[in-house]
Amino acid sequence: MKFDRRRLLEKGWKIGGGLLAAAAGWTSWDLLQPLKPAGATGKLKLGSPSKFEPGTATFVNAGRLWVSNADGHLFAISQKCPHLGCRVPFCESSGRFECPCHGSVFDIGGEWISGPSPRGLDQHPLTLEDGELVADLGVHIKGPDHGAAEYLSPPLGPSCSEGG
Amino acid sequence: MSKSTTTVDHSSQDVLEPEARPVPEGRVARLQHGETWRSIFRHPHLDTPRGRALQSFSNVFLHIYPVKVPSRVLKLRYSWRLGYIASVLFAVLLVTGIYLMFFYTPSVTAAYGDMQQLRTGVGFGQLIRNVHRWSAHLMVLVVVLHLVRVFYAGAYKRPRQFNWVLGVSLLLITLGFSFTGYLLPWDQLSYWAVTVGTNLISYVPVLGKQLSDLLIGGEQIGQATLLRFYSLHVAVLPVALGLLLMVHIWRVRKDGFAVKRGEVGSFAEGSTDRLVVTSSGAEPATEDGQRVRLLGVVDRESVTAEERLTDDTVFTWPHMLVRHVVVGLGTVATVLALGVLFAAPLRGIANPNETPEPAKAPWYFVGLQELLSRFDPLVAGIFVPTALVLVLVFLPYIDRNSATEARNRKVAITIFSIVLAAVIVLTVIGALFRGPGWQFITPWDHNYLEL
Repeated sequence: MKFDRRRLLEKGWKIGGGLLAAAAGWTSWDLLQPLKPAGATGKLKLGSPSKFEPGTATFVNAGRLWVSNADGHLFAISQKCPHLGCRVPFCESSGRFECPCHGSVFDIGGEWISGPSPRGLDQHPLTLEDGELVADLGVHIKGPDHGAAEYLSPPLGPSCSEGG
Repeated sequence: MSKSTTTVDHSSQDVLEPEARPVPEGRVARLQHGETWRSIFRHPHLDTPRGRALQSFSNVFLHIYPVKVPSRVLKLRYSWRLGYIASVLFAVLLVTGIYLMFFYTPSVTAAYGDMQQLRTGVGFGQLIRNVHRWSAHLMVLVVVLHLVRVFYAGAYKRPRQFNWVLGVSLLLITLGFSFTGYLLPWDQLSYWAVTVGTNLISYVPVLGKQLSDLLIGGEQIGQATLLRFYSLHVAVLPVALGLLLMVHIWRVRKDGFAVKRGEVGSFAEGSTDRLVVTSSGAEPATEDGQRVRLLGVVDRESVTAEERLTDDTVFTWPHMLVRHVVVGLGTVATVLALGVLFAAPLRGIANPNETPEPAKAPWYFVGLQELLSRFDPLVAGIFVPTALVLVLVFLPYIDRNSATEARNRKVAITIFSIVLAAVIVLTVIGALFRGPGWQFITPWDHNYLEL
């Protein structure tokens, strides 16, 4: 096949244009990536474990998480519902997490009980450092799959949802 | 006493209007025939068929119209003017949006305060915001109705397939417009509606998390999200919609009006098979006896003719333009009336720690939210909407049936009607029959719908 200047230019502008478009696409993708907050270590000190009574869930605003105590087992549970990201409050009267958006319900250990959520509430790992509980916010542990019922117990009382 | 009108103005002569014409009386008429006027408008206003054609061709705004249109197109029921109304609403949104930009700061610390200031401290600020909001809702509704009408009329068929694709793209951009604008007031309603909407994206297989992070600029909605939505709302989407709308309207012009083939005034393609050429020199006629204009005869097998049975076309100016002005004014009057009567909602400032009960997506996504409460998110949030959009976009290439009459398109019309009914039912249930915890409620007892 004859490969003259005309053919070189015909191919050249297509290849050049393609490379330019790819470079622009990659640059845009990279440029629009979320910025990492400066100075964030990802570790959050929560204080002494004795602060968290069995059967309770305490909201920690700094990490937007719940610290719950299920029969002596402590969890750092994400406030965000795995279904569509609504914030899940803890219902004192039922002793369960109840999502206001689509009605998903979770037990005190964050395990799924009912509703459209695809899994239990996500968690952060907890460690004990110098007698203090520390949550690692940089690590997300996916919530337990449907069927997990290790910490499931009957509701303490009525649900917080008006309709429920 | 009037002067003689026999004076000839040679400056207004050109190759298209070579005849010497008298200059009409009066200052305005003289001004319109003067050099200054001609330097601005290129051609004088001539109230003759050729003058109107010239005006339409040479005017940047008028030339989006054809010079003449079939008279059937003038009837309201031809299109219900839905595409035109959508364009007028877009113009209203642009104007009111620019006003709002003068008073709005896309910052999580300032945005909500700006909205309050707009209500109480800015002259007509609340009205402008109301009109902007109702126009946005109406535009979504009108664009959807436009799509539905085009489908039922079969107007997406050859040669308008690609314009249908452009139209569906415009619908998606309109939804993007409304959705990005929804967040800007930074109140509880906007924050949680957008939270629910954006979390859908995270269900996209493989790239879901990256795409979601890219859109909201982080793990959760915050300053980065507000700035991104603002940039999309005031810069990216208006340019995209403006460009696509230009091409869409241009294709309407070039593809012709979707009047039925063979109807009076139709510009339908070749139908020489029905032509009978008379040899007696009498007027040619089709087999069913209708008159045609014969342009030329090359030989017995090859006849070039134009199917313009009887010329019932009328000039766009003034017939179509008058109707557009009336419908345009009616549209503006409607959104103004809505703006005066109903205030756009503004709840408390966005609180990322507290989800209101119930948290509903904007009304056009609430059907999807209803679906999500019943099925797996991957199915209800991704597969169903993606399939719906893809089928909608490629509909003209999937539905190869060339018939436009409903009686010959029973399958397509039945499927479309079922899907449309399902969307309407899901939207009504999600909007009116769902309360706290997404429990079933009766709308006459509690109303949780906010627009």
